[in-house]
Amino acid sequence: MKVTLFATCLVDMFQSDVGKAVVEVLERLGCEIEFPESQICCGQPSYNSGYVEDTKNAMKRMITTFEDAEYVVSPSGSCAYMFHEYPHIFQGDPIWEPKAKSLAAKTYELTQFIVDVLQVEDVGAQLAGRATYHTSCHMTRLLGVKEAPMKLLKNVKGLEFSELSGKERCCGFGGTFSVKMGNISEQMVDEKVCNIEETGADIIIGADAGCLMNIGGRIDRKGKPIKVMHIAEVLNSR
Amino acid sequence: MNGMIQNRNVFLDKIANRLGRDRKTIVKRPEWAYHPQDEVLKNATQDELVDVLKEQCKNIHTDFVITNTAKLSDSLKEVVNRYGGGPVITWKDERFDQYGLTKLMKEEWPQDGVDLHVWNYTKKEENIEKANVANVGITISDITLAESGTAVLFSSKDKGRTVSFLPATSIIIIPKSSIVPRMTQAARIIREKVKSGEQVASCINFITGPSNSADIEMILVVGVHGPIKATYIVVEDL
Amino acid sequence: MAMKTSVEKFNDRVDKGLQDSFMRGAVSSAQERFQTRRLGAAEELGNWEEWRSHGEEIRQHVLDNLDYYLFELSENVSKRGGHVYFAQTAEEATSYIQNVVEKKNAKKIVKSKSMVTEEINLNAGLEKLGCEVIETDLGEYILQVGDHEPPSHIVVPALHKNKEQIRDVFKEKQGYKKTEKPEELALHAREKLRQEYLTADVGITGCNFAIAETGSITLVTNEGNADLVAALPKTQITVMGMERLVPTFEEMEVLVSLLTRSAVGQKLTSYITTLTGPKEGGDVDGPEEFHLVIVDNGRSDILGGEFQPILQCIRCAACVNACPVYRHVGGHSYGSIYSGPVGAVLSPLLGGYDDYKELPYASTLCGACTEACPVKIPLHELLHKHRQVIVEKEGRSPVSEKLLMKAFGLGASSPAMYKIGSKMASPVMSPFTNGNKISKGPGPLKAWTEAREFPAPNKERFRDWFKNRPKGGEQS
Ligand code: SF4
Repeated sequence: MKVTLFATCLVDMFQSDVGKAVVEVLERLGCEIEFPESQICCGQPSYNSGYVEDTKNAMKRMITTFEDAEYVVSPSGSCAYMFHEYPHIFQGDPIWEPKAKSLAAKTYELTQFIVDVLQVEDVGAQLAGRATYHTSCHMTRLLGVKEAPMKLLKNVKGLEFSELSGKERCCGFGGTFSVKMGNISEQMVDEKVCNIEETGADIIIGADAGCLMNIGGRIDRKGKPIKVMHIAEVLNSR
Repeated sequence: MNGMIQNRNVFLDKIANRLGRDRKTIVKRPEWAYHPQDEVLKNATQDELVDVLKEQCKNIHTDFVITNTAKLSDSLKEVVNRYGGGPVITWKDERFDQYGLTKLMKEEWPQDGVDLHVWNYTKKEENIEKANVANVGITISDITLAESGTAVLFSSKDKGRTVSFLPATSIIIIPKSSIVPRMTQAARIIREKVKSGEQVASCINFITGPSNSADIEMILVVGVHGPIKATYIVVEDL
Repeated sequence: MAMKTSVEKFNDRVDKGLQDSFMRGAVSSAQERFQTRRLGAAEELGNWEEWRSHGEEIRQHVLDNLDYYLFELSENVSKRGGHVYFAQTAEEATSYIQNVVEKKNAKKIVKSKSMVTEEINLNAGLEKLGCEVIETDLGEYILQVGDHEPPSHIVVPALHKNKEQIRDVFKEKQGYKKTEKPEELALHAREKLRQEYLTADVGITGCNFAIAETGSITLVTNEGNADLVAALPKTQITVMGMERLVPTFEEMEVLVSLLTRSAVGQKLTSYITTLTGPKEGGDVDGPEEFHLVIVDNGRSDILGGEFQPILQCIRCAACVNACPVYRHVGGHSYGSIYSGPVGAVLSPLLGGYDDYKELPYASTLCGACTEACPVKIPLHELLHKHRQVIVEKEGRSPVSEKLLMKAFGLGASSPAMYKIGSKMASPVMSPFTNGNKISKGPGPLKAWTEAREFPAPNKERFRDWFKNRPKGGEQS
């Protein structure tokens, strides 16, 4: 099966290890990965700040980039959701609305793709440790991917789980919110990290680079011995 | 006499204008697409409804007593005693006689020194004074909602509103036949009356247990403005 | 108090909120209890999504036909002998009510909780006439006795106060002598207020839902205070926001079922009362005169536009209880009687961007509010729409942000620019980099690094790795 990877700008620039893990996991599952070089960013930072018109060019570029893809897969629920928003944003545009619709229809978040399309729940991963999982807001509430990550994680050998209290509560990232309302964001991420500590886990797993950058940055600042892993990295462990 | 209506036209014209159309003079109440309310306690028997009501009473800090017409008088007397006796205030309602309570109200209580005031609209304000100092207010439920444990009381000149609000405790007699699944059925009964040209009572009370508040630190306090305690007496053969 | 509750700047209000550790503890535990109860109540009811859709369709239908239903409502109130006054502005509403109060020569007025009367600053208008105005909802009473503090939550107005503070307020202002036990505090209020109901000349209530078909109003409380306010004084005035109505008893029932579950997790609250007109014939209790004041005050400007869905709101505060930002900053940070997500959408619409332009940004767009709303208002989308209006129609965003966003837009749409930018990121950031992280970021990164580390850009971008890796899927 041919999969076109939408890596996201955060992964491209800051977390290439996550990108590598995605490629390796999917290849192991028999997918052929393609990465169109012309992809940049889904446009969320400026779109969410209210610059809708100014963001449309970036979105159009992404639509064109993935026009010929069969499946578009992204290791970020938030960015995948953004593609699902495109039809709404280009509503009434005779050229771009239909194109946006077809992009949305073939775009999947990584775990959603593995579970729903590839119909795999055990990727054969192995990782020893005690972990907890943070459910990212956009992925869970807006994209509606609720079960897939846990289905996959349950089958990772050696991994034990502790439930994270308030796991559905936002970590305080919110893109530009984290700098625009830095003081509020700080309190939010601090509470999240405290909740993670309470679980006694030594690994915190998430499925969105933005949230993990935020949570990880706070853990690091507080000097806590908790490892931050993207779910792709967990699934790629053996 | 009809009341005055002021400023209506400009006000409504502006609304129609904002909605981008002329004023509407006919709107049919739509066929709603959803009817979730019909599913609640669907096909429950009358006995099952009594059980639901009984269970719900635990949630609403209300004592539940079940009895029959022959024993109603004793049950009522007992609950009033438990609440510390009179003064008692009741509606003027022939159902009390039909339910066999004449002897209790006209002979036994006077003998026992329990002061009873029966609502008498010709005495005007005196009724409210009596209600304000009463220890027990006794009313009869016109419709009873099993799901929420609610008694529906229709006011009239003989059925003063304050009998259920002002006394320190409240006893509501519930004929088993008055129990319906939920507020849906009550709303329909009321609407049927309206459609057949009957006037709705100037006050309809849906009363669910004693008054309470969680305004202080979210800690529940039972009995704020209205009754502090409440008992429902369900009469099985009515 | 008017809608605006503070003259302080947004950031100062937030700082104050963040430093108030009692308030934050109270809010977070209240949020958890509310959430648990709400979810429990929804689950117990079953078919919750269908209920929400039904609530939504009812509210949308009413808004789309608002002129018709308001007409019907006013006709039916009048037929039952009640007076109806349509007020386009806060001033019109207040002066009509002042008039009624003056004609009745009223000295004492009891009120049950009503956000719209706060919005139009009614109490001040009545106090100006020399009237004593007494709030009877326990939470509002506490705030009123304590020097008219603003509410911090639309359902639990005194959520930010603890019982010791409440005891002290009663002690200082009313010579209260007992302890801080909630039962004793409530009993104190009960005794004080009972006398007020019995001696008040006018009762003022809000309105949860008016019923067009019968000309009734519905009041929803747990305390029963609204019933006493409506039953005892000779004159009753009910003030309602113009959107708060339903066609018939049947729709009222649905919305009440959604409201009580979403607000407090109860199947029904202790008292739900529908009142129709003044008292009749031989009725002893109930008002002799009934006035219904229907208030626009900026609502019609919301109708017919992209923000119309906010008028579906039934003021349950489920969104407030779900909001992770409200959780930390508390209600007073919003500077409006309407706080939380609903406040962040509504306050700028009713009060203007001058006072409230920051509110739509006080959100991570996490969608918890939208998910909680029982009438399916897309709250986070409306917050985003506000941002769009602020940026694109009002041009109010800061220049530095505009430039940054322009640069971003350019970078994100031009591969050449992106290539330069992303390739340069690592060397450019290297002076700030310590190992694999940045602890003291420049420019916009500063706010980030005050609380957390920022990752150093990859030395090799993912795309470069992908291009250079051995092809064919061999393991690297
Ligand atoms: S916006 Fe929705 S959730 Fe918030 S108060 Fe209104 S009805 Fe309730």
